[in-house]
Amino acid sequence: MAETENLPKAKKRISLIVNGKGVQAEIDCRMTLAEFLREEMGLTGTKVGCNRAECGSCTVILDEKPVYSCCILAVEATGRQVLTIEGLAGKDGTLHPLQRAFVEEDALQCGYCTPGMIMSVYALLGRNARPTQEEVKHAIDGNLCRCGSFPNIVRAALRVSEKISERQGDEE
Amino acid sequence: MKSKLLVQGTPPPPLEREFTVVGRPFDRRGAVQKVTGEAKYSGDMKFPNMLYGMILRCPHPRARIVRINTRRAREIQGVRAVLSCENTKGWRTQWYKVPQLGFAECLTHEGQEVAAVAAEEISIAQRALELIEVEYEVLPPMFGVEETMQSPPPPLVGDEEYPGREIYDRKPYVIKKGDIHQGFAEADVIVEDSYTTQASFHGTIQTRACVAAWDGQILTVWDAIQGVWNSKEALADSLGLDPEKVRVVVKNLGGGFGSKAFSQRISFYAAKLSMVTGRPVRIERTRAEEFLAHPRRWDCKIHLKIGAKRDGRLTAIYERAIVNAGAAALETNYYSMQIIWHTANLHACPHVYLEQIGVLTNLQINGPTRSPLNMPGIFALESHMDKVAEAIGMDPLEFRLKNCEDYAMIGSDAGEVPDASVIECKEDIPYSSKNLEQCMKWVTQAIGWEKRSIHASVSRAEKRRGVGMACYLTFQGVGLIPYTAYADVEIRHEGTITLFIGVVDIGAGQSTIFPMIAAEELGVSLEDLTVVFGDTQDTRYGPSCQVSRVTSELGPAVLQAAAEARNRLFQLAAPILGATAEELQSKNGQIYVKSNPWRSVPLKTVTERIDPEEPIRGSGARARNPESPTFSIFGAQAVELEVDVETGEVDILRIAAAHDFGRAINPKLCVSQVQGGIEFGIGFALSEEGLYDPRTGKLLNRNLHQYHMPTSLDMPRIDTFLAESDDSYFAYSAKGAGENTNAPTPAAIRNALYNAVGIWFNELPITPDKLISAIREKEKGG
Repeated sequence: MAETENLPKAKKRISLIVNGKGVQAEIDCRMTLAEFLREEMGLTGTKVGCNRAECGSCTVILDEKPVYSCCILAVEATGRQVLTIEGLAGKDGTLHPLQRAFVEEDALQCGYCTPGMIMSVYALLGRNARPTQEEVKHAIDGNLCRCGSFPNIVRAALRVSEKISERQGDEE
Repeated sequence: MKSKLLVQGTPPPPLEREFTVVGRPFDRRGAVQKVTGEAKYSGDMKFPNMLYGMILRCPHPRARIVRINTRRAREIQGVRAVLSCENTKGWRTQWYKVPQLGFAECLTHEGQEVAAVAAEEISIAQRALELIEVEYEVLPPMFGVEETMQSPPPPLVGDEEYPGREIYDRKPYVIKKGDIHQGFAEADVIVEDSYTTQASFHGTIQTRACVAAWDGQILTVWDAIQGVWNSKEALADSLGLDPEKVRVVVKNLGGGFGSKAFSQRISFYAAKLSMVTGRPVRIERTRAEEFLAHPRRWDCKIHLKIGAKRDGRLTAIYERAIVNAGAAALETNYYSMQIIWHTANLHACPHVYLEQIGVLTNLQINGPTRSPLNMPGIFALESHMDKVAEAIGMDPLEFRLKNCEDYAMIGSDAGEVPDASVIECKEDIPYSSKNLEQCMKWVTQAIGWEKRSIHASVSRAEKRRGVGMACYLTFQGVGLIPYTAYADVEIRHEGTITLFIGVVDIGAGQSTIFPMIAAEELGVSLEDLTVVFGDTQDTRYGPSCQVSRVTSELGPAVLQAAAEARNRLFQLAAPILGATAEELQSKNGQIYVKSNPWRSVPLKTVTERIDPEEPIRGSGARARNPESPTFSIFGAQAVELEVDVETGEVDILRIAAAHDFGRAINPKLCVSQVQGGIEFGIGFALSEEGLYDPRTGKLLNRNLHQYHMPTSLDMPRIDTFLAESDDSYFAYSAKGAGENTNAPTPAAIRNALYNAVGIWFNELPITPDKLISAIREKEKGG
């Protein structure tokens, strides 16, 4: 007798919004959100460095909050909005100011932690347009970078935050 | 000035014009793809029909397989292949040029491969692993380096093997000079102490992953490794293929730090599974596998005895360094003189006797890890230098400056592969260039060296500050197999210029700086140049990106290739400008007559004269290092920190770093390398340590939660200075600015801790518990 009978087979339909687009799929209910994004949707910008919520490279935005997508089941994201690194640039390919700042400040080396790092900073700037250096450091303390880009990442974040605050100042 | 560029054939003459590309802080190439998520790493590759591979690993450091049964795993629906010692008898892999059985019956380290499975889905492969029945006879492991040294080597069991055992196990490798007894007799002060460093891990954020695809003719491997060419050869050797039939591709690499210096073992299994099933196979390691099974820096015990005169001159250095070499040691993965080479050359001393002894144990093989044995070696030496300085009552900076000379004891080649187990140094060898003195002065000035005396006088405060420094050097390149380097430049009729280099961009910016060198020599802007890299197809042999070597190994070849292509272009331009090719120069996309720059023609106009069928090609090849001078990079770091004597926490306030990498091709990228090194150094000094169960020898902390790498909160302010120097042996004087920037950090931190709390810490990492107990001990005693 083949052993496949022992394998759980529960499938479930999910429906969510990824990078502004409605997505529906039938998936194995054990699948993590990271796995869903990478393997089912081909959005491989989201990286999986540890698969147990320690390195932060899988960080995405779920309903405006940064989450470790390796430790959230895809089924939990149903009915919710997910933003990944692929959804940050403009439709015409214009880089988001944060992406531009990461490039110019050399806030990356190997680039593997970069998508998760950018999403964590993006979430911070969403809730606090003008963070202090300490606040930036705390916002990314769950994202490991082994190449040592932290000083440049903090600089990139502060540079964008200053631009955001300037713009808000203009509007006021 | 005659060029001494390290190339085969006649070196091109110096450029003799100002730079327009070199020295500018361009954004790194590939950065846009990395910030948008477009950059594809090996584990992102997916092919139709692809299978997923997984590996069953031995749970014991030393064991023999009594019985293995894979039947149940093979019978699961969706499993396409199961490999083990049952069906691969005699299969040998060549990893780090170390011949090892693909599936041994006698296993010599925890995590060694027992079986490999390929299945339609990961979950099926996982289930299959669970169904493989293995009965082990667990053997007592050789584990602690000192205990192992003291007990006789155990008789081998079955097919148990420790490659390199005859050459390195418990055998001293020696560098000596003068008469060590005379040296100590001449000393006014002799200081002796022992230092211990720990097992440490690379912690790349990308775990190893590969996709191997055998199409019946060609094996293509999308890999996560630092050298495409050494991996191509290793795969060919391990699978019995003609190297012509193997292609290795690495477009992006998620961190290396030495861990991916050579082909990786999972690629051998993925390739074998692909050859058995005829389908592409992806294997991606879990984080726990990453911790368990790859070569790394093991623990070292280093004993130092140094003699000095009251005036600060060193008279004698004796060192005995014992290195845990793991379960296999050959010259590609174990550097038999690396600790002592650095001790021999950092400070000038007339009488020296240094020995390094490797001990084979039941740990995964030793291997490149960001300054593999030089970081432990420099830690011990630079810690000890402070202790000697105190014993003679001299400022540590002044003491180092007193012993800073422009010559080395022993040449660069011996740092990599010594040609004898005992090397007696007779004549001093000059360095090609050295700016260490400047580095030491800059960092101490920047950190506020004068604060040392104030900090040392504070002994009651809850938080105490300290300042400390350390310096280092690292040899540069060899120009020998397996680090030979070739480069090619092609200029086409359409005006396109392409640089072909068989190296990987490990994240240090190789795909940026080599085009910068070529663009400078060609006299074009950086954007005019495309680079083909990270692929054995279309490129010639290039070295693996390790030991901060690629700039010094490959740079000269790139410059030579660009110069040759440019000279051919000048021959086409000469009739247009009514001059000879030798009278021409190029800059900013214009070719002009040197004596009259107004007579010029755009380079693009000249390329139209290139035969569309026959592009211009220039080629470059690195020559091997001469016996003299010695090539090295240098640097110094100074640290200011604060210790909380209640909690044992160390807060590093600031680090000043000055490095002599020759000339910085791209200063922005050089500074990033320094910051990366410092992060590694901080972790090694204060928090990172592989913990092993003393009874079973099993690794306990196999995840990023319990293995403490520095986070954003641990990184201090860093001020980086580039102390540039001229060195015409290299491309525009550019030497390596990579991994070795971590080497001085741990000793600088440790010396600053002494300044803060008056305790010498000789055992790494210096964790809060060790700090607190040492402080309490001292308070009790005082």
